[in-house]
Amino acid sequence: MDSGVGAEEKFPYIAFKRVEVRYSDLVYGLRGVDLEIAKGEFVFFVGQTGAGKSTVLKLITREVKHTGGHLIFNGKDLAAVRDREVPALRREMGIVPQDFGLLQNKRVWENVGYAMRAVGATRREVRKAIPELLEKVNIGHRGDAYPHELSGGEQQRVAIGRALINNPPILLADEPTGNLDPAHSMEIMELLLQLNLRGATVLVASHDMNVVEQVGKRVITLKEGQVINDEGRCV
Amino acid sequence: MRVAVFDRFEFLFSEALVALRRNTWMTFSAVTTVAVALFLLGGLGYAYMGLSNFASSLPGRFEMSVFLRDGAPKEQVAEAARKVRLIPGVKSVQWIPREQAWEQLRKQMPEVIEGMENSYPEQLKVTLNDLDLASEVASRIQMLESVERGGVRYLNDEQQLLSQALKLIRWLGFGVGGLMLLTSGVLIYNAIRLTILARRREIRIMQLVGATRLTVITPMLIEGIIQGALGGLLAGLLLWSSHISFERVISNFSVFGRVAPFPVLYVCAVLVGTGAIYGLVCSSVAVREPTRLKFR
Repeated sequence: MDSGVGAEEKFPYIAFKRVEVRYSDLVYGLRGVDLEIAKGEFVFFVGQTGAGKSTVLKLITREVKHTGGHLIFNGKDLAAVRDREVPALRREMGIVPQDFGLLQNKRVWENVGYAMRAVGATRREVRKAIPELLEKVNIGHRGDAYPHELSGGEQQRVAIGRALINNPPILLADEPTGNLDPAHSMEIMELLLQLNLRGATVLVASHDMNVVEQVGKRVITLKEGQVINDEGRCV
Repeated sequence: MRVAVFDRFEFLFSEALVALRRNTWMTFSAVTTVAVALFLLGGLGYAYMGLSNFASSLPGRFEMSVFLRDGAPKEQVAEAARKVRLIPGVKSVQWIPREQAWEQLRKQMPEVIEGMENSYPEQLKVTLNDLDLASEVASRIQMLESVERGGVRYLNDEQQLLSQALKLIRWLGFGVGGLMLLTSGVLIYNAIRLTILARRREIRIMQLVGATRLTVITPMLIEGIIQGALGGLLAGLLLWSSHISFERVISNFSVFGRVAPFPVLYVCAVLVGTGAIYGLVCSSVAVREPTRLKFR
């Protein structure tokens, strides 16, 4: 099983070493997780609700801090990243939230443009970059539509387009097909595969086993905060 | 470079305006309460200054007569004058020798004191620089050994009344105005918290794509500044219109003379500045807790 086109690099891009997330004395998010992900890999995190797959992504985006072990991302120990450095860290990655997170009162291009302006782009830079960005996610033809005029798959494309504004080398998607029918789900997966083909590392948390099996990439299964299976790992 | 800075400011400012439009009623409440608070504080401050100036124009104001014990030698008088000069609130001390006082009285009422001996003690004329410290200064002077028991005379009834009026205004200013200011601060705080709630989706997106904390909070700080500044402007205009009405009433009574002109631009600038700073402080408190700005 192939786990990613650009996965040839040997050093781990992301390394979890005995990572633990403890919310309280009895509640754990992750328990001693060990895993390595190479640059350019396409990895699925699967498991039941509460298994810890979203927590893995949130640890990398620093929405959650680990309480034990070591977490290395792109050579940086995330425990040493201070809160004020988190925005810079997030500009190194594209995050696709489960609920699309689109602004309903803004058109498609405005949604992407808003995010660009929030990270410092000027109006001119936004105007210049938007067509290419929207084309990259095959939504250029709906640029003037409002989110409520789009299908779920189209909305997810906009969310992915927005995640690409910083031209990130890694994309993290939390249940990107959670709200979509099978046909649209595969559309989104194909888009993520295209981005992976262009060199992006793609991490997807999903419980949609049909889609996961069809895509045929590395699958890490979590249960009660522990990795219980890791299939198709690149060596 | 300049275009980029302007562009950045335009983005942050437009974000603040969106928030203001979204919370129209909350903004209205915050602005009007700030206005009432600053109107009370500014108006009472203005009245205080006016009364204070009026008090300073009264003859004999801020003066105190201190009578020393009978037969006090000159060295003791000089020593008492030196000690009085050191008391906080005392501007100057002038020694009036008993002969000089007697001579003055003799000139004013020669037939009354004809054949009488000089019964005046040595006297000090004390000028104060703060009317409110008068009683404290008086009691400290009274404690001096060389001063006659009950030998400190100060403030006539008018001055007592003025002093009380000034105290009342100050109390009202600090009490009512302060309370209103506190209320308006809570309203600005609430308006910003509502903005955070109403704009949680935008804030979340900003945080997802890596916007800095400054980018996320600046629109809210601008929102607070605008609310405070608008309140200040409204307070200035209210004060101005009150002054015009007061001027009209006063002009009917020629005995009071002319009311001093109202420095409208200066007052508005001060109130707008004060309001803006207050708005900034309140909004800074509202966005301070970082966990509340986190999505989910």
